[in-house]
Amino acid sequence: MIHEAQTEQSTRQAFLVALNAGSLVEAQLAARNLAIKDCNAAPFSFIRNAVAKTSPETLPLKPLKVALLSSFSIEFVHDSLVAMGFLDGLRIEIYQAGFGQFRQEILNPKSGLYAFEPDVVIMAVEGIDWMPTLYRDYLDVIDGEVDKDLAEFRKEILNLVRIFREQSNSTLLIHNFAPPVWRQLGILDGHVSQGQAELLHEANRFLYGLCRETQGVFVLDYAGLVNRFGSKHWYDDRMTYYARLPISQPMLPHLAREYTKFFRGLAGRSKKCLVVDLDNTLWGGVVGEDGVDGIQLGPDYPGNAYVAFQQAILNLHKRGIILAIASKNNPADVDEVFAKHPHMVLKKTHFAHEQIHWGLKSQSLMEIAKRLNIGLEHIVFVDDNPVECHQVAGAFPMVTVIRLPDQPERFIGALLEEGLFDGLSFSQEDRNREELYRQVEQAEELRGRCASLEDFYCELEMEVSFSPVQANSVSRAAQLTQKTNQFNVTTIRYSDSEIAARARDREWLVTTVRVKDRFGDNGIVALMLARFGSGELDIDTLLMSCRVFGRTVETAMLAYLCEQARRRGAQRIRARMIPTSKNAPSQGVYETHGFQRVSVGSNGESSWLLDLANGAIVYPRWLKIVEEWTQADEKSDVAHGR
Amino acid sequence: MEERIKQIMADVLDLDPDSIDESTEMDAIESWDSLNHIQLCLSLEQEFQISLLVSEIESMLSYPDIVQVLQGKM
Repeated sequence: MIHEAQTEQSTRQAFLVALNAGSLVEAQLAARNLAIKDCNAAPFSFIRNAVAKTSPETLPLKPLKVALLSSFSIEFVHDSLVAMGFLDGLRIEIYQAGFGQFRQEILNPKSGLYAFEPDVVIMAVEGIDWMPTLYRDYLDVIDGEVDKDLAEFRKEILNLVRIFREQSNSTLLIHNFAPPVWRQLGILDGHVSQGQAELLHEANRFLYGLCRETQGVFVLDYAGLVNRFGSKHWYDDRMTYYARLPISQPMLPHLAREYTKFFRGLAGRSKKCLVVDLDNTLWGGVVGEDGVDGIQLGPDYPGNAYVAFQQAILNLHKRGIILAIASKNNPADVDEVFAKHPHMVLKKTHFAHEQIHWGLKSQSLMEIAKRLNIGLEHIVFVDDNPVECHQVAGAFPMVTVIRLPDQPERFIGALLEEGLFDGLSFSQEDRNREELYRQVEQAEELRGRCASLEDFYCELEMEVSFSPVQANSVSRAAQLTQKTNQFNVTTIRYSDSEIAARARDREWLVTTVRVKDRFGDNGIVALMLARFGSGELDIDTLLMSCRVFGRTVETAMLAYLCEQARRRGAQRIRARMIPTSKNAPSQGVYETHGFQRVSVGSNGESSWLLDLANGAIVYPRWLKIVEEWTQADEKSDVAHGR
Repeated sequence: MEERIKQIMADVLDLDPDSIDESTEMDAIESWDSLNHIQLCLSLEQEFQISLLVSEIESMLSYPDIVQVLQGKM
């Protein structure tokens, strides 16, 4: 006990020292230890107060303005929210609307809400406050207008969301509704034609539909949260009546965490890659000692808990998270488990890269990051061994390290509860991502074998298809603008609706680029936005995923733009280069393709010009170019065999 | 127990734990408003794994009062 108190004091000290020294990653690590320990509320207040005292210049936190609209005293979540945001590298500034003022704030264009210019607006309304009859006086309307509340809710939420979208481009999160704890008909609620639970289900369905159809509006699954913790733990009836605070104090950090999952997605901080240990992680026991037949994995406890954990990891893989292995083992032992064990859910093919040797785990992680071309800050590392976890966290504090609990049945919760992998989109490319990274690996190997670079390009048998953005590719195009940092000349971020608007505009060219090679289809991996005007084609966006770096795809893209410019009678191509800390790989693209630099601004931004009269850029001969046309243009697939 | 109480008061009310003594009371501390009061009582509940009645919450208006109520709960 004394030991624990001392550790807590020293962690607090370490946190304050790191904070004041501006060492964000160390401060985050200490804060994480304070906050995660038991999710007690007081350390969250401590963290919030300390962070509030630092000046924005000393800590590289990304500011995020959050407006809270609520029908109850949601102020109590502020401390957890600011502290949780800090753990994710965000400095959260809160606008708290007056109690129960959510309608007025949205309807009034001059409200404090809009003046605050929030990045995110959260509408946290309890079902009972929105549909009081349905929750409280259900039996009075059961023979009459039983769905009157529901009908009014639909009308109102539709109107509120519409008006909100007219006034603001912010992201909007709307709580869905948890059903009443006590159904007024008891066990018969499910038997009458419109029971309370069923009506609430309808309200939620309507909300889901509305959010799906409206850009940047998301359902926050409040009912799911209440369900996960149980209404008995979630609600505090005493505080409901005493302070209009229906949510019990220990649950508030969980609500805050649910919000921060969205913030992380918006800030592009979702994790992309999971690196797992093997022994006592994917299976119980140590294969090197226990042998393939001796490890715990199979239908009985604890083997079945490891099977379930593997299934959870496989599900991450299916939603586009890259998997890799970092294990201290003999490769032959591991191969044998993968090849022979009948209860292995995960196969070798699910892993994009593996580091199986006796070297340091931090080195394995470094190698994985390099091979897969992803930043360490996008990696989650999972291990049962506290020493390994400590070693990795010490070497690379930006890696999120999860130390697995002692019992395997708690692994899934430890992996998923923070929602580290949650993002705000789920594209076709995500579904196939693992396959895509395999292809990159294979291509890298091929490069090693080829005598010259040109041989390598030829052997890749690449096919590059250009297509105007389509209804089904708008969201992928927007996703590329939001996520691409390295090969991105202007780093302009677009929402789905902005991409769609430009695609409808005759002056704009919005073209997606798909790249196939002998190892498979990489999907849409590059994007161009350009605008025609006064005899020029002006490049607004030219970006490419790191998956196809170093394959002359950018040359093909510029050649395509030259062709388009000529077709529309433009004589010149104009371009801009806005340097960032991350886009070094794209900074030389205009110079190497013969553009002339016209000017350089004080911020390093340069503008470039290519005169087509002096010769246009041509497609590299090793690429097969395919142009796809929309119905709007003349329908004809033109394939240049080159 | 006193040390833990002081730590939690310090966390929630943004005070130095060493500054908390017998004279520390709600009326004299600016950050100790009604919202923070509830937050403080709920944090103490969570820390000591107890449950407070509303009447107790309303009586815990100074550091000595808090200690007294909590000792009665142990």
